[in-house]
Amino acid sequence: MPPDPPPLLTLTGVSRAYGDRLALRPVDLAVAAGRCVAVMGANGSGKSTLLRIAAGRDTPSTGRVAYAGRTMTQDDLVVRTEIAIVGDMVSAYPDLTVREHLQLVATAHGAGRDGDELVDRALRECRLSDHGGALPGSLSSGQLQALHLAAMLVRPRRLMVLDEPEQRLDPAARRWLAGLLLAQKQAGAALLMATHHVELATAVADHVLVLSDGAVIGEGAPGIALTAIG
Amino acid sequence: MTVTREAVAVPDSTGPTIALLRTLRRGRARKKAASAAYWIYLAGLVVALYGGAQIASAYHAMRHPPLPTAQTPRILHATPAGLTALALLVLLVLLRDGLWRGPVTLPQPGVDWLLGTPVDRGRLLRPRFRGSAAVTVLAGTAVGIVPAAALVALGLGGHGVGHVLRLAGVAVISTGLLFGLGTGTAGLIERYPASARWVRRGTGAGLALAAVLGGLAAWAALGRPPAVLAAVALWSGPWGWAAQGMTALAGGPAPWWPAAIALLGAAALAALACAHHAAAGVPGAALRIRARTIGAMSAAVASFDTRGVALAYGGTAGSRRARLRIRPPRRRELVLFWRDLLALARAPARLAGAAVLTLLAVGLLAVAGRGQVSLVPVASALALAYLAAAWLCEGARLDAEDTRRSENLPFRFGSLAWWHAGVPGLVLLAVAGVPVAVLAVVTGDPWLVAFLVVTVPVLVGGALVNVFRPRSHPDLFGGVETPVGNTAAIMVLLWLALGPVLAVGPMTVLLSGALRSSRPAELVRTVVIGGGLAAGLGAYAAARARRLRSE
Repeated sequence: MPPDPPPLLTLTGVSRAYGDRLALRPVDLAVAAGRCVAVMGANGSGKSTLLRIAAGRDTPSTGRVAYAGRTMTQDDLVVRTEIAIVGDMVSAYPDLTVREHLQLVATAHGAGRDGDELVDRALRECRLSDHGGALPGSLSSGQLQALHLAAMLVRPRRLMVLDEPEQRLDPAARRWLAGLLLAQKQAGAALLMATHHVELATAVADHVLVLSDGAVIGEGAPGIALTAIG
Repeated sequence: MTVTREAVAVPDSTGPTIALLRTLRRGRARKKAASAAYWIYLAGLVVALYGGAQIASAYHAMRHPPLPTAQTPRILHATPAGLTALALLVLLVLLRDGLWRGPVTLPQPGVDWLLGTPVDRGRLLRPRFRGSAAVTVLAGTAVGIVPAAALVALGLGGHGVGHVLRLAGVAVISTGLLFGLGTGTAGLIERYPASARWVRRGTGAGLALAAVLGGLAAWAALGRPPAVLAAVALWSGPWGWAAQGMTALAGGPAPWWPAAIALLGAAALAALACAHHAAAGVPGAALRIRARTIGAMSAAVASFDTRGVALAYGGTAGSRRARLRIRPPRRRELVLFWRDLLALARAPARLAGAAVLTLLAVGLLAVAGRGQVSLVPVASALALAYLAAAWLCEGARLDAEDTRRSENLPFRFGSLAWWHAGVPGLVLLAVAGVPVAVLAVVTGDPWLVAFLVVTVPVLVGGALVNVFRPRSHPDLFGGVETPVGNTAAIMVLLWLALGPVLAVGPMTVLLSGALRSSRPAELVRTVVIGGGLAAGLGAYAAARARRLRSE
């Protein structure tokens, strides 16, 4: 196995408290290009909190988040340019079609003339080619999730933060998702993913972090770390 | 553009993105404009058809403003502190708006699809701020008509249309600037979330100051406080500056009012300019939370779900929950009392608010006294007490909101209405009991205690009737066509407020009759009918609870 590349994202002693409730106890984490770290644990164990902080959507109570060697701040422009996030979108423009949503994201990231080609490819990869002209209201929940994943593909990305990307997907779509994420990893993207799905973590992740009540209770290679879940 | 291992150059894509979004949403924008034009047309038509006479009479009133009466000098003395108190309350509302909504808002899809991109936040958010500020300042100028009209109606409009127009103009400018100041400051609160703590703490102080100013206004109306106090009120802050122009043109002591308006204008412009500049830096996290709140609140408003509105607001307004523990009872009959007490103990603000409303109601009835009591003070007092009872029914509301919550309790759902009446009734009796007992001793009228004992269950019964109202359904808003028009409005009104209609209405007639009379037969009749009404409302609430469970 080649030596680990330098980490793109580093969390050092990161914790998060809401009032006097500690949602996340100090965690250390590093994700390098071409690697995937999966965060697992029960509901309320702190996975989403950790991912929000890693994606620059929340500020840690203690500790430091560094992205490409510099301290990350909320709403950082570089973060918005390079980190693709899936999982916190809850809505869509009711009057824009699937294709138009993707065109919007591609344009916002400066795709220019390549926009249409990117959108076509994303639609194909996310199995939405037949739904390009559909409005969000006519999509199933799984297709909406595929739209959010497609939005990730039409923008530049060095780091992908995915909060339960498998949710609302049927078993066949989950297998497709694993293939998609593996391809992203092999292309050099760093992946940080929270998931409840052991098969997905085993297929894609190089390193698994298991959280319980906001604390790390196990970590390591997928096979070893997952024994912590029991 | 694919996965990359190298740093990505930040594109300057704001212009094309906003242009694309505008192009894609042109159809929707046209529909919105057409809808707005339709509503404006409709409003114009209604005003022209039904408001013509009122406009004519308003114009006549402007040309011949009402003359001063014997009460006018008292009102004039109260004007400086009274208007200052009102302006302060308006400013507090505008500042509190910055805590949960604020002038910079994005719709949920905008938050989800644009905030995570490198689109320039300034070019995205500043137009939103400008739009919000323009709407708020326009609303402020419209609000200015109200105090101007009130002053004219109270005989303080001077002579002739010219003076009335000057008064209205100054009022409109003052309130417009006050709203501008409030919006600008709310924008800064939104930009700097740490300031929210100070706004929450300052609200109490602001309300206390408004109460002091209200007291000063009452003192000025009834007595002769030193003139310097009015000057202090008018120069106590921007709220006083906003009151000076109206005070002066009504004939009050505010000789430096142009300077005050200039100061207010400068403060408003500075706040708006700072907030406009700062809009680009409103944290994404704040925009996400606010978009969610506004979405939840809009959905609740659209379905007339007042509870949903309160919950959406409470979720962001930073309401504190106490951690008080109460040991659970051993007897099963006491378990709902325990649960309801816990609900109140965990939200002490609700308990305190209900206590204040109850004491205000008792105070109002005490001032009204006995003898020739009119319906207005009795109805007002009962409405306040009803609100207190409704606030105290939190435990019942939690069960009605989601009928599955009580599935593990050893009670049928219908009987919950009776069980949930206990704590609100006892709390109201305890809070109102002491002042009513004192009144009964002072006036030598033990019937007052009997009236209290019969009124409280009626109000709690009415509150429970409202708590267990059926879920809204589309037929409700469609109404039924009758020879006198569609019934939708009345049906929605009754669906929303059947409880107070059934409790406050009959009780007002009953209680005011009893307070007018001293004949024992009349008093006994009041107690008996009141008792029957309470039992009827309780049974009706239980029936509605059963129906709600089966929906």
